[in-house]
Amino acid sequence: MTVSEYFSGLFTGIKSLLIGMSVTWKELFTKKITQQYPENRGTLVISDRWRGNLTMPHDENNEHACTACSICQMNCPNGTIVVKSKTIETEDGKKKKILDTYTYDLGTCTFCNLCVITCPSNAIRFDNSFENALFTRSKLLERLNHEGSKLREKKAAPKAAENIPG
Amino acid sequence: MKDIKELVLETIPSAVVEEKQKLTVTVESRDLHPLVATLKADPAFRFDLLMQLIGVDWGEKLGVVYLLSSSADISKEIVLITATDDRKNPLLYSVTDLYETAHLNEREVFAMFGIRFINNPDMRRFILNSDWTGFPLRKDYNADPVLNPVNLVSKEMTDIAPSIYETPQGEIKEKLTDIFEKDDYVINIGPQHPSTHGVMHFRTALDGENVKKIDVHSGYIHRGIEKLSEELTYSQILHFTDRLDYLAANINRHALCMCVEKAAEIEVPERAQYIRTIMDELTRIESHLVAWAAMCNDIGSTTAFIYGFREREVILDIFEKVCGGRLIMNHNVIGGVMFDIYPEFQKDVEAFIVQMRKALIEYHRFFSGNVIALGRMKGIGMMSKKDAISWAVTGPAGRGSGWSCDLRKYVPYALYDKVEFNEVIRTECDSFARYMNRLDEIEESCRIIEQLLPNIPEGAFATKTKPIIKLPEGQFFQRVEAARGEFGVFIESHGDKFPYRIKFRSPSMALVSIMPHICRGEKIADLIAIGGSMDYVIPCIDR
Amino acid sequence: MLLEISHPLELIKLTASLDSFLHGLLPSWAALLIEFILVGVVLLAMYAVIALILIYAERKITAFFQCRYGPNRVGKYGLIQSVADMVKILLKEIIHVDSVDKFLFYLAPFFVICASMLTFAALPFGNGLHAVDFNVGVFYLIAVSSLSIIGVLLAGWSSNNKYSMIGAMRSGAQFISYELSAGLSLLTVAVLAGSLQLSTIVADQSYVYHWNLFRGHLPAVIAFIIYLIAGHAETNRGPFDLPEAESELTAGYHTEYSGLQFGFYYLAEYLNMFIIAGIGTTMFLGGWNAIQVEGWDGFNQVMNFIPSYAWFFAKTGVLIFLSLWVRWTFPRLRIDQLLNLEWKYLLPINLVNLVIMAIIVVFGLYIK
Repeated sequence: MTVSEYFSGLFTGIKSLLIGMSVTWKELFTKKITQQYPENRGTLVISDRWRGNLTMPHDENNEHACTACSICQMNCPNGTIVVKSKTIETEDGKKKKILDTYTYDLGTCTFCNLCVITCPSNAIRFDNSFENALFTRSKLLERLNHEGSKLREKKAAPKAAENIPG
Repeated sequence: MKDIKELVLETIPSAVVEEKQKLTVTVESRDLHPLVATLKADPAFRFDLLMQLIGVDWGEKLGVVYLLSSSADISKEIVLITATDDRKNPLLYSVTDLYETAHLNEREVFAMFGIRFINNPDMRRFILNSDWTGFPLRKDYNADPVLNPVNLVSKEMTDIAPSIYETPQGEIKEKLTDIFEKDDYVINIGPQHPSTHGVMHFRTALDGENVKKIDVHSGYIHRGIEKLSEELTYSQILHFTDRLDYLAANINRHALCMCVEKAAEIEVPERAQYIRTIMDELTRIESHLVAWAAMCNDIGSTTAFIYGFREREVILDIFEKVCGGRLIMNHNVIGGVMFDIYPEFQKDVEAFIVQMRKALIEYHRFFSGNVIALGRMKGIGMMSKKDAISWAVTGPAGRGSGWSCDLRKYVPYALYDKVEFNEVIRTECDSFARYMNRLDEIEESCRIIEQLLPNIPEGAFATKTKPIIKLPEGQFFQRVEAARGEFGVFIESHGDKFPYRIKFRSPSMALVSIMPHICRGEKIADLIAIGGSMDYVIPCIDR
Repeated sequence: MLLEISHPLELIKLTASLDSFLHGLLPSWAALLIEFILVGVVLLAMYAVIALILIYAERKITAFFQCRYGPNRVGKYGLIQSVADMVKILLKEIIHVDSVDKFLFYLAPFFVICASMLTFAALPFGNGLHAVDFNVGVFYLIAVSSLSIIGVLLAGWSSNNKYSMIGAMRSGAQFISYELSAGLSLLTVAVLAGSLQLSTIVADQSYVYHWNLFRGHLPAVIAFIIYLIAGHAETNRGPFDLPEAESELTAGYHTEYSGLQFGFYYLAEYLNMFIIAGIGTTMFLGGWNAIQVEGWDGFNQVMNFIPSYAWFFAKTGVLIFLSLWVRWTFPRLRIDQLLNLEWKYLLPINLVNLVIMAIIVVFGLYIK
């Protein structure tokens, strides 16, 4: 190492350090980027395609669109969805399969969206919730169909689930 | 020039050569090693790159599928298959003397299928514990948890490697080798450690501050994805791919989708191709940002870590708006993409590219020129081109050793043949070359996105597919350029709706397997820095 | 009379009157005893308070460098965050590790904390706020502040942990090297000041151009920079934090410590930073002297209105900010880079610098 190399190395080194320090100095006064959660809950924008929690929308008559066909259950890779159906006899004497309980286990769900995509009657959809922490694991097991709800009659076309565009 | 088939038949007359998706050669186990040696040495073909080494259980036979390629032109491919009838004590010949990357891959095949490789100097199980009962990927595996209970007691590591070798007389003998010397100062870097990028476990023998030897252990988060996939339909398997290399989730998924689409002959609409390519490049930028940030953090610059994540956050917000996922994106489906882009997508991405370019200048000013950082990166972790090829280290790391190995150039998929971009290659072979390659690739990705963004055509974003996709019988390969190197998918289908065998080629495994080689003699602090420059993601190894 | 009015907030009168009051009331030995105890209590309290303030300041400033807000949940702007942390550390269980060398393991933190406590005794915090004014003050400061390395070495050795061991060994190499530079750069100033007594050194730096930093021309500036680098290295803080290099050694020499014992190391780290900055202030930046410019009487009056201890802490604060700025900008050095920097750059430059300074002093070229 020659003397000139020694000193040029020293000064370029010092210069590079000073450039680095000028960058942090500038950043000292830039706008801070931390999101102030939970204070910003009100203004927080969550994409409507965000998959938070599986839900089964019910209308004002406590009716849903699930025909208990179990396609979602078959498509689920993890056994997250369990559809229990029961057979009832309608007024005109025909036997009909209706939904008994629709259980969804948030704890094993990988949010792959296959259930929603494959549902032929658009009965389920993911909502926008993201604060899914609970105190016990058993609460992760949810029943999606409300108490006493029933299948919506065909006449009203099922509302397209908003989270499948196109 | 000789035909490749002629060369194969000349070397091994009994070989069965078939034209499948790739040229496939089936040979007896004894003939494999000579054939591979010939293919590697032949000046016309130079199959000096072992891309994939896949164990398969064909019922009465256990065997291995090799995908060989050439470092000069990685679009050249040949598939070799060999198998053994003996299920009790299956033995095949090792190719570790020809390809260094075979070491860990053969150990993985041993753990999963019980096939031992003659002449592999280290036949410990990779990924699984040494006392694991059964071989999980065999079709007759007993998954009863009683056989392999969860262990609650700490176990000492034995550090003794059994091996099986053939004497010149043709006898098969077994022996035990100690990994470390008796008075080695061995420290555990991992599995719980601040800078192992996941749960990697390096047993490191030190000589003062210098690294003497590294022994790689993995499998702490092994999830058996390949086994699980054998009982799931193709669209169900998709969600696993996001969980392999979670920093480049979209690219992995793209690979599997393409593999299935090609096999089932599903046309992908133009619009979907545009969206896929743009999202892939955004993923690449995002992944390289994490790599940059994590590497700086490994070298001790915490501030840089935050800066990198600041820019990454913008991409994640775009991802969230496009596909509802930030890390696990869940976007590609067979035949297209799950969600169309949202109306302001172009505007958001354009704004991001402007911000990214500014940030790149800042990164260079802040870190790339820093005299301390340069001292920590230049001339450190030298990986020669020859080593990179032998260990099959692709991606920015391989290109840092002067090896042109970008699949987007050699085997263009999606829209990569329609865009202009440079393959970033450096020949310094050190940590700094790998570091700079990533930052330059961010710029190239920005260029690709800029070319595609204004031209996204109208139309469908996905083809309608059958509810249950069945692949025709056969073996299907797909290779893509993921953020860390070549990601590969292998599917063997027997005509069902489930794959018979699926294997993911992890770029990180190659990156980790070369670590002991390039870290030998370096300082322990640089072991971490080199790890940062290689940028491996462990869940990709622990499939 | 003018001087009397111009120093309204000084504590020197208070301490003097307390002293004469005690002496009037009690025999001399008892008065001294009470004064000793009082000084001890005040220093201890200061020790804790300074550490808490520093921890808060560091976290906040770091956050601003990194585009974050820093602590902002405990109290307004997170002001009582470090108090909460202190309570937490006091309440935490001290985990007893079986395979450690018990006696040395428990002894080690006390070495570190005592060493930094001892330096407090000789630091002149303000006019009259000076516990002991040795005639070899500089020498004393260098001597006691290097005691803490014993604590670090003991911790690494006794922990029976490989990471700790490597950390402690690194620390030893680092400390011994940089102690040289720190000592030599202080020696350079001592040559200029012509005294080792801190009160004299401070008193000589009354006007700004009399500050040792400016008085000794370039050699003094170089000595100052070298002192800052070496001092920074002695505090084991980034980019010189090799002994606890998080990336490779998890927490280095204090990996096995928990609860209050870890708290001791934590506290000592911040206090050392303060002490290094404090010594720097005293030796180079005029100590507790206000900024005084000859001829600007009005300005000097206003400056004098600010008490001397405030000046001391303000100047120290500037140096601490500099240290934080450096820490959060640079990546960590490797051990060979660290030793190269010392032995190939700092030490030779320092030696040449010392000779030049001696020439300047001999020929009286410094600003008088």
